[in-house]
Amino acid sequence: MTPLIAIRGLRKTYLMGDENIHALAGVDLDFQAGEFVAILGPSGSGKSTLMHILGFMDTPSEGSIVFDGREVAVLAPDLRAWYRSNRVGFVFQSFNLLPRLTVEENVALPLLYREGSVPAANLIAARAALERVGMSHRLDHLPSQLSGGERQRVAIARAIVGSPSIIFADEPTGNLDVKNIDRILDLLGSLIKEGITVVLVTHDLSVAEKAHRVISMRAGLVHEDRSR
Amino acid sequence: MKLYTRLRPAVVNGLRELQANKVRSLLSMSGIILGVASLVAMVTVVQGMVGNFRQFVDALGGIEKITVTREQLPKEQEHLAELSEGITLRDVERLRRTVPLVENISPEARVGYERLVVEGRETSTYVTGVSADYLPVAKRWVDPGFGRFISDLDGLNMNDVIVLGSAVVPELFSPNQDPIGQVVKLRGRRFTVIGVLNNIEGTGMQIRSANSRSSGNSWRWRNSGAFIPVLTAQVKFLGNDRLSGLGLRIRNPLQLQDAVEQTERTLLTAHKGLRDFAISTNEQVLEDFRKTEVAFKLSLGGVAGISLFVGGIGIMNVMLASINERIREIGVRKAVGARGSDLFLQFLAEAAVISVVGGIIGLVVSMGIVALMNYILMQALPTGAVATLDWAIMAQGLGFSVVVGLVAGVYPALRAASLDPIEALRHE
Ligand SMILES: Nc1ncnc2c1ncn2[C@@H]1O[C@H](COP(=O)(O)OP(=O)(O)OP(=O)(O)O)[C@@H](O)[C@H]1O
Ligand SMILES: [Mg+2]
Repeated sequence: MTPLIAIRGLRKTYLMGDENIHALAGVDLDFQAGEFVAILGPSGSGKSTLMHILGFMDTPSEGSIVFDGREVAVLAPDLRAWYRSNRVGFVFQSFNLLPRLTVEENVALPLLYREGSVPAANLIAARAALERVGMSHRLDHLPSQLSGGERQRVAIARAIVGSPSIIFADEPTGNLDVKNIDRILDLLGSLIKEGITVVLVTHDLSVAEKAHRVISMRAGLVHEDRSR
Repeated sequence: MKLYTRLRPAVVNGLRELQANKVRSLLSMSGIILGVASLVAMVTVVQGMVGNFRQFVDALGGIEKITVTREQLPKEQEHLAELSEGITLRDVERLRRTVPLVENISPEARVGYERLVVEGRETSTYVTGVSADYLPVAKRWVDPGFGRFISDLDGLNMNDVIVLGSAVVPELFSPNQDPIGQVVKLRGRRFTVIGVLNNIEGTGMQIRSANSRSSGNSWRWRNSGAFIPVLTAQVKFLGNDRLSGLGLRIRNPLQLQDAVEQTERTLLTAHKGLRDFAISTNEQVLEDFRKTEVAFKLSLGGVAGISLFVGGIGIMNVMLASINERIREIGVRKAVGARGSDLFLQFLAEAAVISVVGGIIGLVVSMGIVALMNYILMQALPTGAVATLDWAIMAQGLGFSVVVGLVAGVYPALRAASLDPIEALRHE
């Protein structure tokens, strides 16, 4: 089976003064469609850097990424934007909802930037996504009126509204309490059943346990990769 | 269509931002408001003044009028003063024969500021000796029911008849009295009132009632005065055959220069080369006015231009501040798929929204300014109310503000568009 994403020799180097920082120092990884992957690793090991590159928000210094059969390591900014709104979803630790937009407007945001987007259809899709995360009763609320767990559910709805093939979540539970962590993990688990690949970064071993596969990184390299 | 689908959310977003930051937005608009207000008010008032001035010049006899006045001899001819006969009725005859471009010639002999007395009442006004030609030259007339003007026969017979300006009538007669046929004493002589001149209103509107003829009228100076036959004035009051001046009305305004030249030649020849007269036209008045108009436009236009420039800087400043505050928002939008161009459009639209709203407020302010200017000008000028707002000018003012907003928005919008999503998201 060809992987959804195949990464070979991926490097990201930052120049700090005279010193080169190798945030990614040669990563080889394959992600299969429908996988639930957790990435563990100490601070500064390159987890976020990897997620940003895979999420089309950043470009690698070296290496190849084949996404859905296409080489995507170096794309023009507008093309990367297209992948962000059409192929991948991103969930952040700090939710990153826009404070002046209502819940449903926040969720509809990725669709706004699609070719031929129709506002009414976008809202319908946003409501469907909010239904899936159990937040359809708060459509007109502002993010500031929601709890942390609720905000993260809205953020997940925003990540899935465009039917992406993969979702990247960078410490999505980092700001949540135990009860909410469980809800979010259940939610992400249910997405797997719909065929969406989920890659999440965490520091929390109990969170990583929920995943099918745990990758641990160290100093910009894959240190360990085990499936259960 | 595609641009519209991209613009619509950008504009909605701009309005939302404006609403969320009312005070700051209003402050940033102040330059635009002032600029649009002064621009629209300036154009409106200047246009109004031009239009009104045309009317004013028309009331002076229009540009087809040439005025000849008695003048001191120039220095080099001073020793010939004895030879000067001044302007006389003989000049009128000569001009009639030699300058066919002239249609009417109105001789005028100023008697002075005189007391007019009737039984129990009196008033003072300028009395002038004129002929029947006064009416076409001065563009005046006698309304039906208000008698008649001085005729050629009155002139020949040296009749003691008088025509009153409409403002003089209520000073001498009670409202229910018909002035026609009444006797008015002038320097002890008895003059019969034969007519009342038409009443001039600033708006061009004629009020028929003699009673209201003088009430609150800024054209009062044109409605005062009294007129007697020119020979009557010369023989019975002045004691010589000199005129104070001539009014000439030419057939075709396009031949004004030729007519002026021919008039000058004829008079110079007749006066044996003595320059004891001066010729002027209303065109010079118009020319002076045009200069005032340009000065007005330059000064107010300068204020408007500077305000719009400052307004543009204000908008740019607020946009830059707003972008600084919203770096995270920009990061989020980019992270979910916005292109640089989407953010460029969003922030450009926001700048445009600020400037359009500012422009609209400016238009409202301009209405106030125009009303105020009208009030002031009404007091200061004899021409009455001047300016009315014109949709085309207002649209232009709004157009200006949009252009300023767009120009001011380009740089901030470019900055927003070029932000890196990850760095933007990392921003606290
Ligand atoms: N823009 C940058 N400029 C310079 N160095 C950077 C930049 N971004 C990341 N780095 C460095 O790259 C390395 C990897 O950073 P990264 O954010 O991927 O770590 P991480 O594994 O996500 O850590 P954490 O668990 O704390 O989030 C770190 O040493 C970091 O300092
Ligand atoms: Mg990280």
